[in-house]
Amino acid sequence: MAKVILTVDDSASVRQMVRFTLSDAGYTVIEAVDGRDALTKLGKPVHLVITDLNMPNLDGIGLIRSVRAIPACRGIPIVMLTTESQEARKLEGKAAGATGWIVKPFATQQLLAVVKRVLG
Amino acid sequence: MMDNYKQAFQEEARELLAELESALLELDQEREDREIVGRAFRALHTIKGSGAMFGFDDIAGFAHNLETAFDRLRNGKLAVTAELIALTLAAGDQIRAMLDEAAGLGAVDRSRSEGILAELRRLTGSPEPQPDMAAAPPAARDVSPGGPACDWRIRFRPGPNVLINGTNPLLLLRELRDLGGLRIDLDASAIPSLGELDAERCYLAWDMVLTTAAAAESIRDIFIFVEDDCELTIERVRAPAVDALAPPAMAGGRTVSDGRGADPASSIRVSAERLDQLVNLVGELVTVQARLSEVAGRRDDADVLEISEAVDRLTAALRENSMSIRMLPLKTTFDRFRRLVHDLGIELHKDVELTVEGADTELDKTVIDRLNDPLVHLIRNSMDHGIETPEARRAAGKRPTGTIHLSARHSGANVLVRVSDDGRGLDAEAVRARAVEQGLIDGDARLAEAEIFALIFEPGFSTAREVTEVSGRGVGMDIVRRSVEGLRGSIDIASRPGAGLTITLRLPLTLAIIDGLLVRVGDAHFVLPLANSLECVELTRQEIADAHGKHIANVRGELIPYIRLREYFQMDTARPEREQIMVVETEHGHYGFVVDQVLGDHQTVIKNLGRLYRNVQVVSGATILGNGTVALILDPHRLVQNAVQSMSRKKRSTGWSEGADRQGPQRTTLLVQKGKQNR
Repeated sequence: MAKVILTVDDSASVRQMVRFTLSDAGYTVIEAVDGRDALTKLGKPVHLVITDLNMPNLDGIGLIRSVRAIPACRGIPIVMLTTESQEARKLEGKAAGATGWIVKPFATQQLLAVVKRVLG
Repeated sequence: MMDNYKQAFQEEARELLAELESALLELDQEREDREIVGRAFRALHTIKGSGAMFGFDDIAGFAHNLETAFDRLRNGKLAVTAELIALTLAAGDQIRAMLDEAAGLGAVDRSRSEGILAELRRLTGSPEPQPDMAAAPPAARDVSPGGPACDWRIRFRPGPNVLINGTNPLLLLRELRDLGGLRIDLDASAIPSLGELDAERCYLAWDMVLTTAAAAESIRDIFIFVEDDCELTIERVRAPAVDALAPPAMAGGRTVSDGRGADPASSIRVSAERLDQLVNLVGELVTVQARLSEVAGRRDDADVLEISEAVDRLTAALRENSMSIRMLPLKTTFDRFRRLVHDLGIELHKDVELTVEGADTELDKTVIDRLNDPLVHLIRNSMDHGIETPEARRAAGKRPTGTIHLSARHSGANVLVRVSDDGRGLDAEAVRARAVEQGLIDGDARLAEAEIFALIFEPGFSTAREVTEVSGRGVGMDIVRRSVEGLRGSIDIASRPGAGLTITLRLPLTLAIIDGLLVRVGDAHFVLPLANSLECVELTRQEIADAHGKHIANVRGELIPYIRLREYFQMDTARPEREQIMVVETEHGHYGFVVDQVLGDHQTVIKNLGRLYRNVQVVSGATILGNGTVALILDPHRLVQNAVQSMSRKKRSTGWSEGADRQGPQRTTLLVQKGKQNR
């Protein structure tokens, strides 16, 4: 069974890039446009969440906190997408329980390397 | 593919610009509304982030400056003014023009961008345009080898929340292993009692030694996501091995050290004999130590007890240390086979390539020494019988060059050494027919595939149609079996007819020490290897009665045949009310051994029984217990094998009589006499 990865980003082009890259590598990719949308997608098994930090409704940090508080989901790896200028946000995300991060902009190989590191 | 992304970005960026515009217009009405500022900020942020990702660096850089201004607005560090709104609207138009240019529609007036940014600086009071770190994608980290291989000692204790935070520490260990040879010791000492255990917390730590040519950064990089929340030390323990071709430092001569070179005293040569002596002495020490703890335990003297415990710890450390000195990598052995394969290839007119994996796996020197001959036999056999001639291979649709793959890896207390080839494999029917022809089995014997393959290890068996120079004289495989069994190992054959053969040797790491379970039958003690032991359950009289005289026990729904050691060794002591059954994994499946009592773990130094008893197969050695008595170390594989053989012989022949196939103390004398006659 292919592993399921949920990409959470309000940018459709980033979601598309993540989806194309990871589905080519054999993963099943589902999408959510923000944190609130992402929480509704976690009813089904998800093996990895890749989330942007700045999003309307529920941002990335809020999403990480929410997932870590749901007993059935709390161990799901969550990788955040950050930028160099967001060092403080990155630390906040780590404190909230993020598994790892990718600094934007990133190349497809970097994305694949991080996914492989976290999912095995 | 990239064009696809660019197209998607074009569309998205235009939507975001529209969103920015409407937010700005609303903001003009409602200047204190942070919510609206947030919308504008996110639009700019996304344009910047995605722009940088899909190669729109000029847009990303431009948007970055605007984003910074809006971040300050958002945090209340700057007030919303009509001028700022007007400027940002103009900036949005400029971004749109940049998008048009990228899509091939018109050109952008760069000076206008500069003007807008200069105006922005004036309004926000920021001194200089901030360099946009995000605009340039960071170069992929170089993980190329950083020079010759070194040893790194790594201690890793992840934070207690590591599992909740979605990190699987095992994946990190696996990544480390991909960098080179890795020895891992688990530190489970922090696991609390069951009542205090929180199943979601991680209590484990690992001490590892990594041998790799990779640079320190590549090692640290693996832990990048967890390094802030874990205990992690990475230190180099051994300088790179001195290049064999480099001139050795002259004795007494002065060596110039630049502070980075190898430590000249990093290794010394010691004769193997002296090492053996050391191990023997340590063995004696372990025995004496066992007596000491027993005596100390009986005396109610805190001081003696304390000393005994200290000696216990030291002995354990000493034993482990002296054992590790004897460990050698298989590399030298494996390397020798390259020449063998090369020479045999010429002799047999076959084109064969040898690939090697896990050559850095370490094994006791004695095991390695005695492994050479069986491996030579297996490789010869693969070359001669397995791999076809280049013509035959081409005809079968294979690569004309055959491959022999040698691999070694750890598996618990064992090392698995594998010889596989991509030759024609073993044909079970042909083996069977040949065995019948040679009188090894009856024509109507019903055998499972594994049993048929086992026949090739029978003395005198050969499938080769004609005797060749290399092999096929009917000697060889039985020698392999005898050597491997002499090493307390076992052999497994897997054949893919037409596609190749894989022979796996399972060998103990060391011959000198065994981790065992001490059991008692009457007043006799035995040790069973822990590596094969699965579990221990009680066997009550009721259960025995339920089985109607069959030696079968029901262990958690699995029917397990058992051997009662008291009967096997024909001991006449009385059977206790409750016996214990030790379930052991053998090549014949799960078997039980019924004993009076399981006394517990017993790590022990193996003493050979001496030449007199070398034909006693079911006993692999002996050990001296703390109270000075001797316990025999049993070989469960052989015990079961003997039982299975005597069972099938019982079925096959009519001349079978009770006790004739048993090996007990009485039987032992018989065997010894036989052994003498053979000599």
